[in-house]
Amino acid sequence: MKKKVLLAENQPEFGAGLQKALTMKPADVVFMVRDSEIRGLGGAGFPTGIKWNLAGAASADKKYVICNADEGEPGTFKDRVLLTDQAERLLEGMAIGGYAIGSDTGIIYLRAEYPYLVEGILKARQSLMDRGLLGKNIQGTGFNFDVEIRPGAGAYVCGEETALIESMEGKRGEPRNKPPYPVNAGYLNKPTIVNNVETFCAVPHIVLNGPDWYAQLGEGGASGTKLFSISGDVERPGVYELPMGAPLSALLELAGAPDVQAVQVGGASGKTVCAEQVDKPLSFGDLPPGGSVVVFNSSRDMLEVLENFMEFFVHESCGQCTPCREGNMRLLHAVSAMRQGDVCCMDCLQPFMDLCDVLGVSSKCGLGQTSGNCFRDIVTTFVNLPQECNCEGGDA
Amino acid sequence: MIVAEGLAEFGAGRERMIQLLTKVNTELGWVPPEAMMDIAEALGVSAAEVYSVVSFYSFLSAEARGRNIVRICNTISCTMKGQEEVIDAIRAELGIEVGETTPDGRVTLETTACIGLCDQAPAMLVNQTPHTSLTPEKAREIIAGLK
Repeated sequence: MKKKVLLAENQPEFGAGLQKALTMKPADVVFMVRDSEIRGLGGAGFPTGIKWNLAGAASADKKYVICNADEGEPGTFKDRVLLTDQAERLLEGMAIGGYAIGSDTGIIYLRAEYPYLVEGILKARQSLMDRGLLGKNIQGTGFNFDVEIRPGAGAYVCGEETALIESMEGKRGEPRNKPPYPVNAGYLNKPTIVNNVETFCAVPHIVLNGPDWYAQLGEGGASGTKLFSISGDVERPGVYELPMGAPLSALLELAGAPDVQAVQVGGASGKTVCAEQVDKPLSFGDLPPGGSVVVFNSSRDMLEVLENFMEFFVHESCGQCTPCREGNMRLLHAVSAMRQGDVCCMDCLQPFMDLCDVLGVSSKCGLGQTSGNCFRDIVTTFVNLPQECNCEGGDA
Repeated sequence: MIVAEGLAEFGAGRERMIQLLTKVNTELGWVPPEAMMDIAEALGVSAAEVYSVVSFYSFLSAEARGRNIVRICNTISCTMKGQEEVIDAIRAELGIEVGETTPDGRVTLETTACIGLCDQAPAMLVNQTPHTSLTPEKAREIIAGLK
């Protein structure tokens, strides 16, 4: 039986992790998180302990703890489940983050698509307040921490942490140049940690059980566990928790996927794999473990799937970087042309494959850097174009 | 009026703009030019800057819309599970196309990127409420019930 943490049936009491953290020195909490080797569970995979250490070391009159609850990757809904069932755990994790880096203010950036979750989160906040686990002078330690919710307004790019901060400052969600990084100059130019819902939810468990316990939960050298949202052609769509580093096949088995042509792992910006590749591990550096897994059976037209993804990127590009704004449009046109037979061979396709590389190296943020992935994966693995033909060639 | 309420609730910091816009947009269904100008004045920025923010976000609108906003997810997990039939049923029920508002101002029909309900596809948001595992019949009933 695989060990579950976030979705385990027997959960530690909400607040127990915070109570323990408050008996420790803030720096020791940071070291504990660092030693657990937990990495950003929204999908970017930046080591959480390093982020907290940098923000903790920054000196400022004000610091912020921000929860990225803007999951917008197509096929991702794991944070919705956590925000619904474990809002107290999230707030507890944020308070531990505040104690660790020296901040009294937490903000949840909640995507516009989840307005119906606000009430539950506020109720969770009140319940922790009533127990003296949020608010002023928490547990008599002199530590103050409170959390407010800020609404998003419908923009995928705002999941990128600097775009999220821009949006929280009341601006268009356009990613910033880095450096400076948010740990030094984030929200309102103050040191800020931005972590995903799932990361904050895991922190109280790490504090309660220790970093070594958490690290050994993973497989193949990876640390901890991971939630995956799986949908598409499966018998039991939903959210499943697996050891980080578990093979994709283990997830497919849980959800029931008897007919697999392709699996989109990590959302539209992730990787597309075929049935022969499902033994690969879900972990940073391999199949992207951001949380979205969509299964396509053998009846699905993968060019139609790709067209849907490219329409998504065309719509969601913030427009700031020309390669992303114009390039995704070109890639979408190329998919339409392929469906109509106008891009008929690999020679015609080559300029668009080159364009994917251009997007990867010349876009400022992860959206543009990864939007060519699905194009490259799907046309390479699932579309059989002849190598050469006699037509005039592609027009990129 | 709504802007003044919002300012009292959130404060007049520049960083409160999206909260203010969201409040107006939720109550009126869109952000009228007068509200943009009120917000611009209160936050000390130009009206053009407020407009640039409104135009950036999918859930904010600078154009008048219906009393009810129906947003149907058009991302892959929903399109794989019969979203097109659901849209067709709603279009037939309302007699409008995606992006349009009924002449009586009752409903605006839109599509939207992934709304995180992929395990219960196809799904849509009606104003602030999610509706999941839609069929054409179920969708038609929900739409018919909107005031």
